[in-house]
Amino acid sequence: MSSPLDKPQIISHFQKSLNYTVFDSKWIPCSAKFVCLGNYARGTGVMQIYEVQQGEAQLIKEQEFPKPIKCGTFGATSLQQRHLATGDFGGNLNIWNLEVSGTPVFSVKAHKEIINSIDGVGGLGIGDGAPEIVTGSRDGTVKVWDTRQKDSPVANMEPGEGETKRDCWTVALGHAFNDQDRCVCAGYDNGDIKLFDLRNMSLRWETNIKNGVCCVEFDRKDINMNKLVATSLEGKFHVFDMRTQHPTKGFSSVSEKAHKSTIWQVKHLPQNRDIFMTTGGAGNLHLWKYEYPSQRSKTDSDDLAVGVAGSVTLLQNATLSTQPIASLDWSPDKKGLCVCSGFDQTVRVLIVTKLSQV
Amino acid sequence: MPLIVTDYSWTQTDSTVFISVPLKGARAERVDFLSTEEYLKVHYPPYLFEAFLSEPVDEDRSTAKVGNGVAVITLPKCSNAFWEHLVITTYDKEKKKEVRERALLKYQERLCSESRSKAEKQQAEKKYALETMMKLEKEERDIILKRKEDEREKTTAELAAWQLRQRETAVGEAKLKLQDQRDRQNKLKAPTEKQEKGCSDEAKVKLDERGNSEAKSQKTTALLPAPRRSANIQVRFTPRVFPTALRESRVPEEEEWLQKQAEARRAGNADVEELKDLREEERNPEWLKDKGDKCFASGDFLGAVNAYNLAIRLHSKIPALHSNRAACHLKLKNLHKAIEDASQALDLLTPAVPANAAARARASVRRGSAFCQLQLYAEGLQDYQAALKLDPHNAALQADTQTIRDILQGSAIGTH
Repeated sequence: MSSPLDKPQIISHFQKSLNYTVFDSKWIPCSAKFVCLGNYARGTGVMQIYEVQQGEAQLIKEQEFPKPIKCGTFGATSLQQRHLATGDFGGNLNIWNLEVSGTPVFSVKAHKEIINSIDGVGGLGIGDGAPEIVTGSRDGTVKVWDTRQKDSPVANMEPGEGETKRDCWTVALGHAFNDQDRCVCAGYDNGDIKLFDLRNMSLRWETNIKNGVCCVEFDRKDINMNKLVATSLEGKFHVFDMRTQHPTKGFSSVSEKAHKSTIWQVKHLPQNRDIFMTTGGAGNLHLWKYEYPSQRSKTDSDDLAVGVAGSVTLLQNATLSTQPIASLDWSPDKKGLCVCSGFDQTVRVLIVTKLSQV
Repeated sequence: MPLIVTDYSWTQTDSTVFISVPLKGARAERVDFLSTEEYLKVHYPPYLFEAFLSEPVDEDRSTAKVGNGVAVITLPKCSNAFWEHLVITTYDKEKKKEVRERALLKYQERLCSESRSKAEKQQAEKKYALETMMKLEKEERDIILKRKEDEREKTTAELAAWQLRQRETAVGEAKLKLQDQRDRQNKLKAPTEKQEKGCSDEAKVKLDERGNSEAKSQKTTALLPAPRRSANIQVRFTPRVFPTALRESRVPEEEEWLQKQAEARRAGNADVEELKDLREEERNPEWLKDKGDKCFASGDFLGAVNAYNLAIRLHSKIPALHSNRAACHLKLKNLHKAIEDASQALDLLTPAVPANAAARARASVRRGSAFCQLQLYAEGLQDYQAALKLDPHNAALQADTQTIRDILQGSAIGTH
């Protein structure tokens, strides 16, 4: 039995109190800087860039925008350029060069309503093929954009004519293991999870997890789809094994109830795809490890392959605040370093230790 | 009355006095001793032995042993002197009483102080135990805290070192870039210098340079595949009636509400014979209401009333039907029926939400105008004012309310 001191510890490196509501915080790749996105009380958007210096954060740059910013990603830019793609409350997708203030590098009115979630693939040396950005919005549509094509999205997943629309709360890109293949996973507020294949431009799989889906993430974007974690309201999350798809049963999954409140975010450790952290509505973080089953697929009664889901164990948990922690981002450069921000207007940099020994 | 024991015997040494008191068959537990420095009492009911000692003795070291039918009392002397007598016999009753009381008091005091000191000692021991426990726990916690702190400092140091390395590499890269640029500039300078010599070659050289740069940009874009061909994917969502997000714990309540709504729509009381020959659509209150509205619009007020009557028989809880029937009765000058229907409509619109404000305003206006036509101008004014409150910007409404006020004040006569 390992003693409590052998488990990974979640240690707070420092925290910074902000004077605005912060929705998203992301590390700038290959640097010790992170960017915070949010909105001021006066209704304008703000982006601040901080650098980690000697145990605290120094503000390097601040910029104000006409509309509050909800989400951002560095997923679709090259390592040299490091442009930030943001989605704001007015449905605009903008890509900013952080060195230069003023006009964005790329701008399009992507959606009619707020962009709830954004993801990018193909940049940063992760994933093959063209860099693409996917946005999911409250107007029920999920659109995939290529920065070389400004006027229309490369793919548009929208409800049919006259159909009711549901809010799309989260999007994730994955399965980008060669030039052509991409998959977009979208989670909606009525519990739907839909997996779209961009190569065939079709719906590949859908399911309903009975609670609004807050966050979906593939464990790695640039490999053949391996695992997908979907978190939801009421403290539940599901881990789907994406290697084996059954024609009727879809992907098999294991689900876990934790946090006793909405699970806002899930993020996989960039250095180990079986470790992930979930953030909860009560200001707590849970660190999980997924263990694979002895056989990942078996044949069922009709001689069709069906996947076998493994198990999830809790490595550590920590309570940081009383308000939800809405965003979490692992540093791709330093293992165990992460930045998280919550609705208590604080951004915290945490260190998770002993991840190599897990 | 206790029996005094007189057949005791005593001996002495230089330092101690030994008194031997026969117990006369009393059991050991029943013997009670009281000794102070000048008084000794041994009491085993019904016998009593008391001695007023002639010299003081050391009461703390006095002992008594009970056994073999005798009690042997050992009294160490305060001063080593030979005692002539054991007891003082010259005390009178008063003195004896005094001595006894004093002795008793002293004895009690001694017992008190002993118990107090015992309690204090216990207390002190407990406190000590607690403090040691706390110290141990604190040490454990400190160890853990120290480890965390060490980890933090280690990571901070690593981070700082890594940042330094990053900066160095960035500086290195910047230098390389600068070097690159300078090289390129030098290369460009060489052909332009040649250019100056021959003007005819100028245009060609410029074209060449442009050609070079284009080739370079084509190469970078060729590394990325072309953008995908645009396509739309149609999605269909799992149906959900409520606009809010789905929560598992709320599902039973939502089901209940939906069931209630469904029941409210179904026909309330189906009178069997008369309604048997109704067509399917004639059972639908929406269809009937539409029919009634069309009749009203085309001036067929009796037909409209019939349609509304049937609809209300099937579904008496829909306020729009009552309100519209009130309007019909108003046109037919069935003023009392109009008032009844408008009142019923207002009752059905009771949870006063902004959603039914317009409907309430309409019903109030209809009832108000019925009152006025019956010359009950006060009630009419009330209803018009209520409608005005719901819809303050309606000019016609304001004008009508003003007219009624004037009528009430008697300055103008006329129906409205």
